[in-house]
Amino acid sequence: MNLQKKLDQILKQVEKPGRYIGGEVNSVKKNREEACERMAFAFPDLYEIGMSYLGMQILYNSINSKEGLACERVFAPAPDMEELMKKEDVPLFTLETKTPVRDVDMLGFTLQYEMSYSTVLNMLSLAKLPLLAAERGEDYPIVAAGGPCAFNPEPLADFIDIFLIGDGENLLPEILYLHQDCKKNGLSKEAFLEKACKIEGVYVPSFYNVEYNENGTIKTLCKLNENAPYTICRRIEPTTETLDFPVKPVIPMIEAVHDRSVIETFRGCTRGCRFCQAGMIYRPVRERKKDTVLNLAKTQLENTGNDELSLLSLSTSDYSQFREMTLELMDYCKETNVSLSLPSLRIDNFAFEVLNKIQEYKKSGLTYAPEAGTQRLRDVINKGVTEDDIYKSVEQAISLGWRNIKLYFMIGLPTETYEDLDGIAKIAENIIEINKKYNGPKGGRFKLTVSVSNFVPKADTPFQWERQNTPEEFREKHAYLVQKLKIKGVTFNYHDSFTSVCEAIFARGDRRTGKALLKAHEMGVRLDGWTEHFHPDRWQKAFHETGILPEYYAFRQRDVNEILPWDHIDCGVSKKFLLLERNKAYGETTTKDCRYGCVGCGINRKVKCEMEGIYGK
Amino acid sequence: MANKYVIKFTKNGYAKYTSHLDLLRFFKRAFRKSKIALSYSQGFNPHPKLGFAQPLSLGYSSSCELLEFTTDIKYETDDIYEMLRDMMPEGLELLWCRELDDNIKSLASIAEWAKYNVHIPATFDSNKLKLLVDEYMAKDEIIAMKRQKKSKELVPVDIKKMIRSFEASIEDEGTELNMILDCGSISNCSPELVISTFCQFASIDVPRYTIEVDRQELGFYNNLQF
Repeated sequence: MNLQKKLDQILKQVEKPGRYIGGEVNSVKKNREEACERMAFAFPDLYEIGMSYLGMQILYNSINSKEGLACERVFAPAPDMEELMKKEDVPLFTLETKTPVRDVDMLGFTLQYEMSYSTVLNMLSLAKLPLLAAERGEDYPIVAAGGPCAFNPEPLADFIDIFLIGDGENLLPEILYLHQDCKKNGLSKEAFLEKACKIEGVYVPSFYNVEYNENGTIKTLCKLNENAPYTICRRIEPTTETLDFPVKPVIPMIEAVHDRSVIETFRGCTRGCRFCQAGMIYRPVRERKKDTVLNLAKTQLENTGNDELSLLSLSTSDYSQFREMTLELMDYCKETNVSLSLPSLRIDNFAFEVLNKIQEYKKSGLTYAPEAGTQRLRDVINKGVTEDDIYKSVEQAISLGWRNIKLYFMIGLPTETYEDLDGIAKIAENIIEINKKYNGPKGGRFKLTVSVSNFVPKADTPFQWERQNTPEEFREKHAYLVQKLKIKGVTFNYHDSFTSVCEAIFARGDRRTGKALLKAHEMGVRLDGWTEHFHPDRWQKAFHETGILPEYYAFRQRDVNEILPWDHIDCGVSKKFLLLERNKAYGETTTKDCRYGCVGCGINRKVKCEMEGIYGK
Repeated sequence: MANKYVIKFTKNGYAKYTSHLDLLRFFKRAFRKSKIALSYSQGFNPHPKLGFAQPLSLGYSSSCELLEFTTDIKYETDDIYEMLRDMMPEGLELLWCRELDDNIKSLASIAEWAKYNVHIPATFDSNKLKLLVDEYMAKDEIIAMKRQKKSKELVPVDIKKMIRSFEASIEDEGTELNMILDCGSISNCSPELVISTFCQFASIDVPRYTIEVDRQELGFYNNLQF
């Protein structure tokens, strides 16, 4: 039976068959003559999650706009589809041409969160590829990976042939052309990897070997191939202004999580929150010009028929011409009946002016992220927000008619004490009191949601050496907050502690953690981001059986002289700066936004910082 | 005077796994993109005035899908056809656009019957098949189990009088059923009920997912056809 016929039978038996059919508006199908280098871009989660991810649309567009290259998409099948694919012997296939993934030239995974690693392995297995890179010979596609989690690639080092670190718009096509060339000249996989590893942003893990000390820490990283660099520098595109941006994104045929036009206004962030990996690894801030953003927005809206527009960046209001751009966008959106949404907006006077206009009838809700309950701890993490800022803003919001306020906090941050948790409750209480001033002693329909997440120390941040709280500590803190937040009108949400432990192990794991991953995969683990598919018992068993101890990887304070598993990957921000920031954190000293002057993070050794000192000292 | 139009399109290949709601979302988007000025309903949540003549089950192909809509300004039907044609994704092909008579409240309200072609991967001796069809249709009543929308309970219904015609032949390594069934708001019979009762009657034991259904024609009151 051919694939189409098999699929015709399988698709009648699964939920949401639209996830697997492709053929969406703006999807690109190139035949063999048009493209002799074919890549399968893999998002290790379900279709409706992956299709909401802008990065995939950007790279899909970058590759497909190049002559001779084709990019197709593949997502993780849901369990019902997976079961039937196994039963009917259908290997993982691309959406566009239904090509079995093992027949493409390159399979590239995007690594957006650690909890997708098991799905990476499961997709390799569904594609019928050997999981270990060392076992994939010449006849298999090159398996690549990139994205924020590739800044500590080590947990996946045994499974991935090549990591692409940093901006992918030019790097990825470059690698594909190189591979095409090597193929044409009959070069081996090894020879291709040797050439590739000389390109900035490329890391070939098989060219290195790690030796360990008796206490388990890393002794040295040895090069196994003389062509391999000692340090792998992240690829940084010096400007986003000239980078291709998709104006004809693929439009999902089934409803995705976000079904809207998204324009990236800038990459990077200058605020320097000490827990935030994105704030470090995407430096420096690189803006698109206002008119470029407006044009992209208009063209994309016209090309897609979308009726919602959103802007993407790490901090919407930090865009240098935010006011002008927003006013122009508001006019355009009003004219064309498009609803505008501005995520991660700093809630100040101008924001109210804007929100009042764009949410005239339906005031959705406002979100604040103080992250910590006391000024002391906010200084430690360098979150430049004061309680007064929040109260003033919340009071204004309530007086203007907002009834839903959300607060985000993190617990388990370095130096945290129960006083800081009391601070969280205090902020909630104070906001409830502010509301009573406006909506009477009973508070009206006002709703305050307090969401608490568990701190996971990340590579390339000033907190990369810190210990994570144990699940017991987290649970005690959750229980404490549950009591403290028994306040009328307050809803308290918190995350599962064990998930955070898994995240912490892989976020700062070395190569040995790959064994636990493999073990967990063998026990059938995948789609860990979905509560209904997450199996903590299997993970616990996998860690236990492979000797990967959370005590070592997550709960241990690392010595600043220790070689860290990702030390050979240079994200652009210097380790010296991270250490300096760590010391300042312990001294409860803040660091200014570098728009007030350079703070010496080191990125300007590599590329010009457009924003340096623009606010004056 | 309202500007009412209807377009006809086919749904084939993998596109048949696009659900009714997703298809509606696709068309809303296509109209926005084409800048055809659809009329909107009044009220707090205005929505565009467009709808399918009859929904098509997920997994069915069709050569006769009809979508009706109202616009604020008058268009040439050729222009609408031109504007929408190139926006159709793989598997959906736009056939034509016509004006719809003002007297017709909605196509959905005047739908009367639908013609289906069903392919079942099971073969018979053609004489035996003819006999089976005759016997099936000669029954006084054909009781099918139909799931109630609200209570989700299976209740028996007699579908005999809703089957307007029913023929079978041996084609393409299987059995082809051609049937015309009541379809619309007054009387509606899903082909699934005919398939399940006939298969049971003829002792055909193949999994449902191996059976293909294609809608070929929709019929309306007053012999209206599109």
